[in-house]
Amino acid sequence: MSKIVVDSLTKQFGETVALDDVSFEVPEGEFVIILGVSGSGKSTLLRSMCGLTSPSEGQILFGDEPITAPRPEIAMIFQQHNIIGDMSAYSNALSGGVHRNGLLTSILQLQDKEEKHRALEALDTVGLLDEAEKKARRMSGGQQQRVGIARALVQQSDVLLADEPVASLDPGSAQDVMRYLRAASEDRGLSTFCSLHQVNIARKFGHRFIGLRNGKKVFDGYRDDLTIDAVDKIYGDIDTEGMFVGSSGDPKEKEVKA
Amino acid sequence: MSEKTDADVVPDGGTTGEESPQSAITAQFDKIKQTRRRRAFGWLALLVFLGFVTVQAFAAAELLAADFRMESLLNSMFHGANPFFPTISIGALPFLDITEYFEFIQQENLLYDPEVGGLLFQWPPNLGDIYAFFFTELGIFRIFGEAGVTLAMGFIGTVLGFPLALVFGTMGSERVTPFPFNFIFRGTMSFIRSVPAIIWALIFIPLLGLGPASASLAIAFDTIGNLGRLFVDELEEIEDGPIEAMRTTGASKPQVVFFGMLSQVRTAFIAWTLYIFEINVRVAVSVGVIGAGGLGFIVESQRGLLRFTDMMAALFAIFILIISVELFSQRLRHRLRSDEQKMGIWELITGFPNRMAQSVLK
Repeated sequence: MSKIVVDSLTKQFGETVALDDVSFEVPEGEFVIILGVSGSGKSTLLRSMCGLTSPSEGQILFGDEPITAPRPEIAMIFQQHNIIGDMSAYSNALSGGVHRNGLLTSILQLQDKEEKHRALEALDTVGLLDEAEKKARRMSGGQQQRVGIARALVQQSDVLLADEPVASLDPGSAQDVMRYLRAASEDRGLSTFCSLHQVNIARKFGHRFIGLRNGKKVFDGYRDDLTIDAVDKIYGDIDTEGMFVGSSGDPKEKEVKA
Repeated sequence: MSEKTDADVVPDGGTTGEESPQSAITAQFDKIKQTRRRRAFGWLALLVFLGFVTVQAFAAAELLAADFRMESLLNSMFHGANPFFPTISIGALPFLDITEYFEFIQQENLLYDPEVGGLLFQWPPNLGDIYAFFFTELGIFRIFGEAGVTLAMGFIGTVLGFPLALVFGTMGSERVTPFPFNFIFRGTMSFIRSVPAIIWALIFIPLLGLGPASASLAIAFDTIGNLGRLFVDELEEIEDGPIEAMRTTGASKPQVVFFGMLSQVRTAFIAWTLYIFEINVRVAVSVGVIGAGGLGFIVESQRGLLRFTDMMAALFAIFILIISVELFSQRLRHRLRSDEQKMGIWELITGFPNRMAQSVLK
């Protein structure tokens, strides 16, 4: 029903080719991790999938419809949280569902009880129920990211996109955020696309992996297929040995071959 | 050029490569030096140009060959029947006779109207009078006499102008209204700004007569232009992130504007509004000068009567009013902007001597 089909997607920014003929098909309910170095096209792919960027060629089908503009069925979580700092965690979560209400209702927070409970439930899912009334600006990076997830959950989408949700977090908070993301998408049966550049976190949480390099799809497979060779293909010259030490090591530490 | 010799002179620093690191550093150093020199020349040229232009401006403003009459200024300030600064001699030393100011301030109710204030401040308190003060005499502004009139004009102007400034400022932003159409709103604001508040007050005389009413309306108009412009500028600075985030939730366009944009600038908007309130009280003084009432009118009427001592007293009252408004508004803005835990009102008052002492000792 809410299958996502990316069909020979190409995106150019002037001379730069950000995505080059990328195609794949993801059935409902999969937890897909998109791997690649910075500048490999991960963000562009996710931004195209949520309708913030329109493709140069090709298309993305959600069910049977092509995605041309942002829509309530597809939620996005951003690397920089993009929550509203001046509002409380609760108000931020509530703002995910404004598409179900009119302007005045959403501004004055006159949503019905069910909607408000939904926001609190989402905060509970990400472990922030007790912090509901705290101003988002005063929260830590990891907490802010979880507020972002809560907002996406309140949106009640079918698809959840996350653009490097843990890139600016320390390893501990990164694991937390990924755990909450995974739990949320499993509980609600969401198709999830999450871009990451930490291979060990990816291996720990992902079902399926799509690897991008210089805008081209270089890998598409499930956990067993993600061998060291496959990772080498995605990351190229970078020494990937350190990435397989498991979750205890610092995932951000990458040594570049001389 | 000199790279080779430089490299040769370098003592054993591991100069094994084809180009030694030392010479690369020298080259980069020279490049930076040249850039800096070029920039210094640029600044110097700009300074010379500014000086040149300033001289021309002096000429145009008739300041180059101005006829300074220091004596006449001093004369009007300290001597004559009604000097700006009346003096009193204690012993042989002249002192400023501030009692004359206070006499006038009291006599004309510049800062306090005892008739209205008497309702509130009496012993024992009379409940009926207190009720009358708030609900029949509507005395919160009137208790301050002429200063209250000026303050009320600035306040009304801000309160009436704010919602329209919000609408025009938001609609004037390119992110809300696409390019050519946002200039409908920006152009309207520019037009409003190009006419000073004092002229707007004159324009509204046929509607409301000459008085505080037309002045308040004029200030409200002025506020649309000025505050709206500040709002537009503030909206240029916001981040795209929250806007995109709200778009991906499937929110409607007005919802994206409110949650994605306006919520980012809420504090700034309140702070700017307080700033414009400060300015509006000053504008209320200047609009008063043309006869709209309040302290400005007192200044003008005393000047017309050549009673410069009384005029100075009115200026003193204006100073008290403006400084109070600014202190209030700046403390409020500071409180809004700071991220610290906010002090309660009680702590704010009782802790004041302590904080003051600490500030002095710093």
